Amino acid sequence: MDKAADDILRTASQCRHYAMCKIDYLGTGLCPSGKEYHFVSYYPQGRMDLYAALADNLIPVTEGLVHIAETCTLCGCCELPCHFVTGLRPLQVMKALKGLVEDYLRSGGTPVSVPLDDPLRRLQSIVGADWASNDPAVLVTYANDPFPLADMKMPRYVVLPGSREEVSAVVRLANESGLPYAVRGNGGSVFGFVFSDGIVLDMQRMRRIVIDKDNWSAVVGPGVTSFELQQEAFRHGLRVNAAEPAATVCGNIVCTGTFSTWSHAYGTAADGFIDMEFVDARGGTFHLNDKRAPNVFAFENAVLAAPGICTEATVKLQPTTEDEDGMLVPFWDFDEAIALARALGRRRIGLAVAVLGLHYIASFMSPSKTLADRLKEVLPDALGVRYMVFVVGDRFARESVRGLTGPVIDSDLWRTLTLGLPRLLDREWQDLVKGFESGRPPYEILCRPEMRPLIEAVLRPSPETLAEAVEDDLRDLYAGIYSQPRFTDMVWLNMFRILSSRMSRHKHMFAFLIYVPLDRKDIIRHIVAEFARIAEAQKLDHDFGFLTPMDLGKRAILEYDYYIDHTDLAEREKIRRAMTEIEPWLDGLAGRTKGVTFLKYVFSQGCSRKENFLYR
Amino acid sequence: MILLTGGTGFLGSHVAAHLAGQGDEIMLLARSKQGLSAPARVDRLLDWHGLSPEKKRNIRVVEGRIDQPDLGLEPDSLSSISGEIDEIIHCASDTSFAERKRFEVEAVNLAGLSHVLDLAERYRCRRFHLVSTAYVAGIISGYCPEEIVHPSAFTNVYEETKCRAEWLAAERCARAGIRLSIYRPSIVYGHSETGRSLIFNAFYYPIRTTLFLKNLYEKDIRERGGRKAAEIGVRLDGDGWTVMPIRIMVQDGAGINIVPVDFFVRAFAAIRDRAHDGGVFHIVNGRQTRIQDVIEYTQALFHIRGISASPAREMLGKPRNALEAIFETYLEAYGPYMRDKRIFGTDRAGPILEEKSLHCPDLTYEIFKRCFDFAVRCGWGARLFRDKED
Repeated sequence: MDKAADDILRTASQCRHYAMCKIDYLGTGLCPSGKEYHFVSYYPQGRMDLYAALADNLIPVTEGLVHIAETCTLCGCCELPCHFVTGLRPLQVMKALKGLVEDYLRSGGTPVSVPLDDPLRRLQSIVGADWASNDPAVLVTYANDPFPLADMKMPRYVVLPGSREEVSAVVRLANESGLPYAVRGNGGSVFGFVFSDGIVLDMQRMRRIVIDKDNWSAVVGPGVTSFELQQEAFRHGLRVNAAEPAATVCGNIVCTGTFSTWSHAYGTAADGFIDMEFVDARGGTFHLNDKRAPNVFAFENAVLAAPGICTEATVKLQPTTEDEDGMLVPFWDFDEAIALARALGRRRIGLAVAVLGLHYIASFMSPSKTLADRLKEVLPDALGVRYMVFVVGDRFARESVRGLTGPVIDSDLWRTLTLGLPRLLDREWQDLVKGFESGRPPYEILCRPEMRPLIEAVLRPSPETLAEAVEDDLRDLYAGIYSQPRFTDMVWLNMFRILSSRMSRHKHMFAFLIYVPLDRKDIIRHIVAEFARIAEAQKLDHDFGFLTPMDLGKRAILEYDYYIDHTDLAEREKIRRAMTEIEPWLDGLAGRTKGVTFLKYVFSQGCSRKENFLYR
Repeated sequence: MILLTGGTGFLGSHVAAHLAGQGDEIMLLARSKQGLSAPARVDRLLDWHGLSPEKKRNIRVVEGRIDQPDLGLEPDSLSSISGEIDEIIHCASDTSFAERKRFEVEAVNLAGLSHVLDLAERYRCRRFHLVSTAYVAGIISGYCPEEIVHPSAFTNVYEETKCRAEWLAAERCARAGIRLSIYRPSIVYGHSETGRSLIFNAFYYPIRTTLFLKNLYEKDIRERGGRKAAEIGVRLDGDGWTVMPIRIMVQDGAGINIVPVDFFVRAFAAIRDRAHDGGVFHIVNGRQTRIQDVIEYTQALFHIRGISASPAREMLGKPRNALEAIFETYLEAYGPYMRDKRIFGTDRAGPILEEKSLHCPDLTYEIFKRCFDFAVRCGWGARLFRDKED
């Protein structure tokens, strides 16, 4: 394989399946064929998988593949949304896939036609001929994900139901035919859970959103993404406690209960919805607000199946005020950062709160991995920052934060630092900043109001300055994006969680989430130290992720992240060995420490009352 | 054989080069760093010092680190080298003032010293030379004697750990019968005759900052219309000089005690030669350099106007611009050294240096120019080992 082909295959194999190509978060347009045909296979994510699958001889050239290749217009609208969060250049893969199929046809190849079988005929009679397939080119894009510990599993059918009735009918058919099934909200999978060798239901077509302002709620279908719902809420001056932007609202509630930095004010799990509708294992329907419904509000510390297929959720919408803004409080010391987060919890200050680690901060601010890596070194070394407490709040909340702590990075300074980031990392400037240091860390100097004119003169912040960090041919596009105020607006970026996917730009992220007692710094420190120790022993990249106070600072959710190249077998082996240590240790810790719960056991019990897993 | 620690640092490398140059045999403890092996690092430094290949052979590099017991050496190599050592010169030091780096500073300045003392005790070393600092004196005014002191307060973690290091060395050496010499330089800058230096912090920092700001605003004026410069009151005069409105707070009768590195090295060697029974020795300048003089030299060398020294009472309650805020921040850290009224006694060191006719040169404009021309030429250290001229 020549180098160019090798690069293309590496890009295709590196797709993280975060589905950011399925939402128009940059406002640059969606993949036209994905929008029309809905199967993952027609989105850039699916095409990346298809290219890798062809290279591995996993599938032949099928009629479905020909259609998928032909419907790609090479418009390039996948390039920027993917690069913005992953640093990958998918357009080269789109071109290569199209080229492979064209070459095959030109050389006289005949695409494989997969015959209809009885279950498929019946599935198509339920959902329509266009929305059920057994073509391997479709199936293979639902067979794999970057989770390193799950093996590939090819489904026999992929079906895209359009209504609750169709979902019920598919479930009944599966039961009659003895076919297992799995449900994917947005067609994607990241953590190795959603596979089936029977039917995969992709809920992409069920995209209803109805805002009920009088009831502060929205009715959403299972194909609605967090981004789309947040966008709709935002239009009404409201907000929803949402998951990662490309994750579906219903799927995320069922799976993890939806937690975020906003869980500080809005809670998690059953706090987030008013009612939900499910299709049960027999194809029947129930609502959670029906007294005869199964009690999914209870929690059991075990890995359980989901209560059914969510076909609709009525989620809470939250009020906003015009004076909301973000701020960051830098810290060298972890305990001090935790103490502030806890104080904000106990005093009910702010809406979104989190202690962020270096990898988070650096990845969020930097449009390229190289810049992020440098920033990750410079923050502690030159500026004396190892953690930041992120806060969104109204002006009263922000004043309170200032009263509780030392220097803060307000939104203006954040914008200046972000748009001037390449120059912030300039060696001479760093040397000077380091020289400020005495008993107080250098970041305090940056935060002083009288220093702003100088900082602006040094950094010369602008969209063009920040765009210097990316490849030449993308600079104008990046400058265009960063000239939109929302892309440096901490509130907007955080409520839409636009930058979350950048966490995996470095490598595929393996996130460990644990509910912890926030008044037990010793436990929190122990958890962080133990994750670090295990990762170091296995030579895995790792870092503290974030810590968000919950329920008035009594509890918190803590994320610690490992980073692995999921295409590297040696790294997969390392994470497998690490897991054999982590799971028994965390189970033991949770068994003897009140307030510690491993999120692994909340999976599929996301509808439960948070009190039932926070206070076991 | 002399074991020397900190040999890749500023003072340590100068001492090593000087002693090797006069024929002493040195075993130099060094770490590999940034992709360079310990011998390669030392070799590069010795080339920088201009040591001839013949003299370089007087230095043997041992890869090790003081922050580990037995200096991180394997038992075999430890016993093979330790029998040969009869004198230790301990220059290794962490000079950070940052409280947040206390752990690292203590690890080097205290635990590291302790590891070296272990070695000295175990192998019955005769003499131990500890390079300390005049600022173990802590926060006091007036006379600072050449003896072990117990100040009630320190300006920063560096001073504190260096003082505790003296206590530790004094106690351990006394117990083991090792003769201890403690050398206390004040602030050391580049070579008075060549201007060469390996570090550009401390005394260099405010001048480097001034030049950085000058270049920044000149560029703004020349290339971008000068809006940022105007905001802060920086302008170009008709003769090309830059006007920078900066008031630096000073104190009457105070100044900075600085010594050039060549004086430090000669003084160190003289005291080592003569003071066989050990003791505490200040290597300082008999005269403080006034901040006003440093401002004057800086303005003359870099074609700047507008920087003025203002007594504290005149600045009280007046708003600071961003440029002044920077210098005030610097003075928060370095103020005790820049507005110093301490008098460092030289009852012990003085006669020895006098006997050798060693006098610390004052900072004249010529020395200042030499040092800062060199600093600019080598990019404040960025091109130290790249340019042939360096």
